[in-house]
Amino acid sequence: MSEKIIETQKTERRSLIDDNPLVDVAACLFLEDIADKQGASGMNNYLVSLATSLAKSMPVEEYDTWDDFLEALVNGESIISAFEEVISITPNCAVTKKCPFTRGWQEYTKRIGEFSKIHTDVAEYYNSVYKPCVINSMCIIHQTFRNAAAERINITGKPLKCANIAAVWEDGTRKIAPDEWLPILLEKAQITSTDLNMILRNNADVWVIYTD
Amino acid sequence: MLDVALVSLIQDMSEKAGVEGTIQYWARVGESLAKRMGKEAYMGWPSFNVALREGRTAFSIEGAVTALTDLAITDVDGDVVGYIYALETCVFNPTTVRIRYSVGELPRADRAVADEYNNSVRDTAVCNFCVIHQRFREEVSKNIAIADQQLDCLQLAARGFAGETKITEDALRKIGINPEYVRSLLRNYACVYAILMKGARLKGEEEE
Repeated sequence: MSEKIIETQKTERRSLIDDNPLVDVAACLFLEDIADKQGASGMNNYLVSLATSLAKSMPVEEYDTWDDFLEALVNGESIISAFEEVISITPNCAVTKKCPFTRGWQEYTKRIGEFSKIHTDVAEYYNSVYKPCVINSMCIIHQTFRNAAAERINITGKPLKCANIAAVWEDGTRKIAPDEWLPILLEKAQITSTDLNMILRNNADVWVIYTD
Repeated sequence: MLDVALVSLIQDMSEKAGVEGTIQYWARVGESLAKRMGKEAYMGWPSFNVALREGRTAFSIEGAVTALTDLAITDVDGDVVGYIYALETCVFNPTTVRIRYSVGELPRADRAVADEYNNSVRDTAVCNFCVIHQRFREEVSKNIAIADQQLDCLQLAARGFAGETKITEDALRKIGINPEYVRSLLRNYACVYAILMKGARLKGEEEE
């Protein structure tokens, strides 16, 4: 494929990732409205079911080889990378270059003000009840979606599995997997903790992908 | 991503709370978004139009808006009391494309919510999302003052993703604009609305 065609495809893909911030800001307010009535736990349930039902509405995928899957992943052809630009550092380590929620958050902070505290409160709830790996409500949607999407992907007949290693929010807040999990996740991802810190400097999410 | 997730929720919400429930929810979201953006004040229409062009007003969150300054709205005394504004791309357009390439098709509830809104509230919606941003604009107008006078917003016309249009002839009659002219604007714009001084004595209203 010529470089020009590849570049055109990349531009089209980038424009597909961009949404209108009004919709994202409206969605944040909708979630805050739910939290006013149902609290952090109710909001958490909503976020989880929102992300799960989104993944379930997307088509299932099958790949003959791991390389085929990796190619689809980085080209944005897989459902798991439909909303973000992903690169693979190693065959088992995926990196999201920019959080897909950044634009909405930036518009929110620009137009409305400080991001409502409920978005971090719900993350604390999620971290204590589920897995300690999210920074705010957006991470709950993102990571739940990714896990639910992975369940719909088969590679050489085995379901894909993924786990978040670390996330960095736009304001620099970091959430890295707990110390007891980190060595295992890094080993699966085939990166060192130094690699991880280097990746986190200019990327949004680091996650491991594998099959059993 | 949040937008696509939100759309996948519409079907679920409409099944549980009915399409009327979804309309109420969306209207509340539009209202609360506008309220939280705060108040604005401008010396006159030129400063407001410049702020709009530079993306500084609350209206700008929707995307590029053009002030059609050749289409001034005048009152019975011939004074300018407002202008017509046009949104270049529907806020929902990118979401529709993203749904097409990620999920497949829009949920049935999208059409059902728009139809119910057209039947029970006002015949101006081309998709479910019109409920949020039309309400948003009405509320934003209340928060903006030009020369110390509060504003009002009238929805005039909208073009949906598949080309379907809604033209509000009553509102156009009020401000004395030919519907065919607005129809031609829809070739280049997705949504057309008027922003005018609240309580202005319009020619069309006087004739009624």
